[in-house]
Amino acid sequence: MSPSQLLILVPLLPLLAALATVIAGRRLGSRAHLPAVFGIAAAAIVAVSLVITTARSSGGGENPRPVDMVTTLWEWATVADAYEPEAGSPAAVPGTAIGADAHAARPLSIAVALRLDPLTATMLAIITGVGLLVAVYSIGYMHDDPGYPRFFALVAMFVFSMSMLVAASNFLLVYVFWEAVGACSYLLIGFWFSKPEAARAAKKAFLVNRVGDFGLAIGVFLLWLTYGTLDFHDTLSPDGTILPGILGQTRLADVSGYVGGLVGTAICLLLLLAACGKSAQLPLHVWLPDAMEGPTPASALIHAATMVTAGIYLIARCAPLYMACPGALVTVSIIGTTTALVAALIGTVQNDLKRVLAYSTISQLGYMFASLGTGTLLGFTAAIFHLLTHAFFKALLFLGAGSVMHSMGGVIDMRRFGGLRKLMPITAVTFLIGSLALAGIAPFAGFFSKDEILASLHSKGWPDAHHAATGEHHALLTTPGLTGQTIHDVGYRGVSAQSDHALSSSAATGLDALNQPFVWQLLFWMALITAGLTAFYTFRAVFMTFTGPLRVPEEAGHHAHESPPVMTLPLLILAVPATLAGLVLFSTESLSHFLAATPSFTAPSVLETATPAVFHWDLAIQGTLAAALGIVLAAVGHLGRRSDGPQMERWLGPFRPFLEHRMFIDQLYVGLIVKPLEAIAFLAAMFDRAFIDGIVRGVAWLPVATGAVVRRLQSGMVQRYALAGVIGVLAIIVILAWRL
Amino acid sequence: MTTSFETFLLLAPELVLILAALVAFLASAFAGLRAGWLVAILGLGLALMISGDQPTAGAAVSSGPVTLDGFSAFMRMLIYTGGLVLCLVQAGDRFRAAVQTDSGGVHRHGSGEEAGTFLILLAGLSLVGLANDLVLLFVGLELVSIPTYILLSLKRSDAAGQEASLKYFYLSLIASALFLYAVVCLYGLGGSTSLAAIGSQLRSLGTTPVATTVVGTITPSMAAVLLPVTLGMALAGAAFRMAAVPMHFYAPDVYQGTSPGNAAVLSTLPKIAGVVVLARLVALAIPPLGNGQPVGPVAETFLAELWHLVAVVAAITMTVGNCMALMQTNLRRLLACSSIAHAGYLLVGIAAAAAASSSASSLGGNSLTAASASLDGLGATLFYLATYLAATIGIFGGLTYLGHRWPEWSATSQDRPPLEEIETIDDLNGLASTNPVVALSLAVFLLSLAGIPPFPGFWGKLSLVTSALGIDSGAAVFGDRQSWFIGLTVVLVLNAAIAAGYYLRLITAMYFKTTDKGTQADGGLSAGLAMVVCLVVVLSFSLRPRGLFTSASEAGSTLTGTLVTDVADTMPGPDEPIDLTMQASLEEF
Repeated sequence: MSPSQLLILVPLLPLLAALATVIAGRRLGSRAHLPAVFGIAAAAIVAVSLVITTARSSGGGENPRPVDMVTTLWEWATVADAYEPEAGSPAAVPGTAIGADAHAARPLSIAVALRLDPLTATMLAIITGVGLLVAVYSIGYMHDDPGYPRFFALVAMFVFSMSMLVAASNFLLVYVFWEAVGACSYLLIGFWFSKPEAARAAKKAFLVNRVGDFGLAIGVFLLWLTYGTLDFHDTLSPDGTILPGILGQTRLADVSGYVGGLVGTAICLLLLLAACGKSAQLPLHVWLPDAMEGPTPASALIHAATMVTAGIYLIARCAPLYMACPGALVTVSIIGTTTALVAALIGTVQNDLKRVLAYSTISQLGYMFASLGTGTLLGFTAAIFHLLTHAFFKALLFLGAGSVMHSMGGVIDMRRFGGLRKLMPITAVTFLIGSLALAGIAPFAGFFSKDEILASLHSKGWPDAHHAATGEHHALLTTPGLTGQTIHDVGYRGVSAQSDHALSSSAATGLDALNQPFVWQLLFWMALITAGLTAFYTFRAVFMTFTGPLRVPEEAGHHAHESPPVMTLPLLILAVPATLAGLVLFSTESLSHFLAATPSFTAPSVLETATPAVFHWDLAIQGTLAAALGIVLAAVGHLGRRSDGPQMERWLGPFRPFLEHRMFIDQLYVGLIVKPLEAIAFLAAMFDRAFIDGIVRGVAWLPVATGAVVRRLQSGMVQRYALAGVIGVLAIIVILAWRL
Repeated sequence: MTTSFETFLLLAPELVLILAALVAFLASAFAGLRAGWLVAILGLGLALMISGDQPTAGAAVSSGPVTLDGFSAFMRMLIYTGGLVLCLVQAGDRFRAAVQTDSGGVHRHGSGEEAGTFLILLAGLSLVGLANDLVLLFVGLELVSIPTYILLSLKRSDAAGQEASLKYFYLSLIASALFLYAVVCLYGLGGSTSLAAIGSQLRSLGTTPVATTVVGTITPSMAAVLLPVTLGMALAGAAFRMAAVPMHFYAPDVYQGTSPGNAAVLSTLPKIAGVVVLARLVALAIPPLGNGQPVGPVAETFLAELWHLVAVVAAITMTVGNCMALMQTNLRRLLACSSIAHAGYLLVGIAAAAAASSSASSLGGNSLTAASASLDGLGATLFYLATYLAATIGIFGGLTYLGHRWPEWSATSQDRPPLEEIETIDDLNGLASTNPVVALSLAVFLLSLAGIPPFPGFWGKLSLVTSALGIDSGAAVFGDRQSWFIGLTVVLVLNAAIAAGYYLRLITAMYFKTTDKGTQADGGLSAGLAMVVCLVVVLSFSLRPRGLFTSASEAGSTLTGTLVTDVADTMPGPDEPIDLTMQASLEEF
């Protein structure tokens, strides 16, 4: 089978599994996990083979060929002549539309098109791989839940939606599955919907995400208005001309193919808003900690490893768009770094193990945003690198937390148990591995990816120290399969050049003024502090949970024990990549070379930022020192007998309530947004009831009244019908004749 | 015009149907109902195969009173596939009134005559689509009507059934008589029974000094007097078949008084006939492409009157249908009102086609851009017709399959009371738990009829609205016609909103209400099969509307583009470049 046919299988198999579970779930009973597990397992195998295929066709090496295989399943809907580019609009830039009529009207065609490129292949492998382990783990975790089939149907559905999201080659399709993963997330957070907290958390997640979705919708509209297409890839119009897709080879090769300025920045910021919603960044991060009300495997899969990375994926995918808007880029970094710091601070005082992990997720996602915002090839690949390692170790930590929660009878408050290392040794060891990876201790996975992120920030703050390889990476991009010849020499001009020179005089928007070395220096220091805080809260959790005298809450009963093998096996499997993935991928540089063949990263504006991969000893030492300091502080506070001690209160003093209440951000939103909205809603409801309803009832009464009149004619007497019909026809004739 | 062996060759599928009908009639003496429907299905399958072999789009073949062009081929395909599914519905229609004789005894379910009658109905309908001659058109229409009377009285022998069939009979007679007036007037205008000849005469009126035909000399002023009568009467004939105002009165009474299987036939097949008649009427004023014949003022008036008329009737029809439907509690009455409303939607496309054609004519008759605009109106109507057919047959198939339900009874009482007919909306309560598959299918069909995306009804309404808004949209000055069609669109959209009210009421009943009555689903399994087939069709059209749309707009454009002259076997060369442009514009879609 060709790679594109295989690609279809990745979403298709989980979809079939979901349908099978929905149809036959009740009948399967305690075996309801079978379709989902096997469907996702098969999808995972296919996804891994796709990674290999993609890696082969990119050729590897320093200058990989862009890999971009698009399969159009079918055209869902088409509107002819929907868009007529004006002269001078980016959609009509000569050279982006090859052919005589660059200004010809073009259709809005919504194709169900899937794409395969390194970024997609990587994401698919993560989604299906973690999905498989989580599904296996859930067999044990969910085993006596009444909603057993429902859970597996939802997990399979989620894997389907998420695979489609990362494989879609069209912004509209991305939007559709953006919503679909949101819906799956809603259903899984509210899985135990009879619990009021769960229902409330699900609603909160959904509503907060709507804010982001709004940004995505408007962003997609703007993209359509600006570029006249929604496809990522180039398409062939009926008359043989090439319609350049937004991220297609044609536009990528064109240095001035992307819009900067106000419109470009607006698009980028709207997409950023969407990403903030899905990836729980400030100011839309509030839903993620509450989302921990869902079953722990769902938290591991959706709210740690995969769905929350959709925002990272979106921005990485749209890298060329961002490269044209330095102001938007720096905003991404500022939001990311701030989120990382704030979430880490809040995480230091949480007592709920899952909430610690939730804040840690927000914080780590913030790192990835910070890295994306640097707008360098290193930054983009580092973000995806960290996404990959984070998926492994965070899923490991969540599943470990789930294992603890499972054996503690549902209790997750760290103050109520301790010393569990004797009781559940496998969980303890694997959790420790995950924590070392999260804290960024060499040689665990998180160390290398975090180091790359710090390096990318550092290179922006101290550009002289890093010799940006400007001009070395001139690329001659060809479009094989389209024309077979070089279309554009890639020069070095246009808006994309601004990203490297902070003090660009032609700053298009006010945001561009933020692109200054001292801002980046500040961001770097914030990231470094966050690294220390990360190590602190992680090991605080480890010490409180696993060290000290054995204490078990009474809910656990007398059968507190290590989890069954079906749960510990995924832990052990995940512990391997959590340990080794960073070292292997970093030392061989295979991931960064692989990702560099993603079309979005082959835009000249991205390529020119490529730097030779160097291991930054200075940064590594700084990062490790910060982490070590955090661990030591955590040990002083919480190791051993002090695991439930009040040290934190002494250290933080008046700060503690501030952090414990999550910096009052929720309360702020309630006061500033929710309450006023409720007041407006109340007024609107009153207005609605008193005034609008009156009108509506009047309007609704109209057809009914008409019907009542017409019904009079419907007497049931055939002679009256005949008469009415003939009179009607005569009336028609008379009116027509009279009009003459 | 000569009728030759070739004519019969063209009509081979219809002849097969007639033969199959004869076999079914004969077989009814020996075998039961099932054998009859088996013959019907086999005959239809054979007819489909034969018609598939015949030349279709591109080359219009015309022989004698018959024309096989893209339009009639599309219609034939629609009629035969629809007919095949309707066969299944009819075969599964075990309405109780037909089962019990007056003496209380039970005889076999229906009779073999049903199948034969139904086949003749289909053959007649197919003739309507193929007719290039007034006489054949009228005969075809009668060949639709007369079997319908028989079907109505065969299925249901109780008083309500007799009342329904008599009502339909009388009103249909009046409609036929009125339509016959239109036929006569057309003959007077054109001096020939051939539609092509009438069209060419109509277009030349007013451009050449005086036209003389076999019926005498026609002057434009005479034509101006004849036109309103012609249009009014022809519309009356079409309106009866489509159940449009002012000939819609029979629909609720007749649907209610017959079996669901018959209601399925009544709400779909005559609509096709009505659409064909109106489409042929529009095509009269449009010169065949490549003909280059100028269009006279009389043809202009003809089109202008036609689209004004159709637009007004469309607006009134959908409003009346929907408002009446809001008040209904009886299921089949409600669906009858909905069928009236859908006739109104279908007319919107016809009006748009007529209006677009009149602008084409005023631009000199051969403007390609205008011709492709008219393609939208008729194509949209055909597309809408197909989606309406799929959903409506599906609904009635589901109702036929359900058949009856148990009345309320307590287990302590001795005898189980007789089954009750499913006739009110309340009878559907709780269907989602008793018959989940049927409930889901019905919900999908209802949503499609209501025009909820992504179901095909939505694509249909969308293309109707697009075609209506496309009229004069490129014009520099905001014209009179544009405001007419914007108004019509507004009425359509408002009506769609009203319609959602009663469609959703049915879904509410099925999904959110409970009942203590059981549903037995005692209809034939074949009706259930028909419902599933329709469900598959509807779902596949929601995912891929494009294929159907392409063929529908191709069919529409062959009619408004190339109504062939009388004896020409194939269109001469000049239509080739036009074909290419058409292809291109379709590709773009």
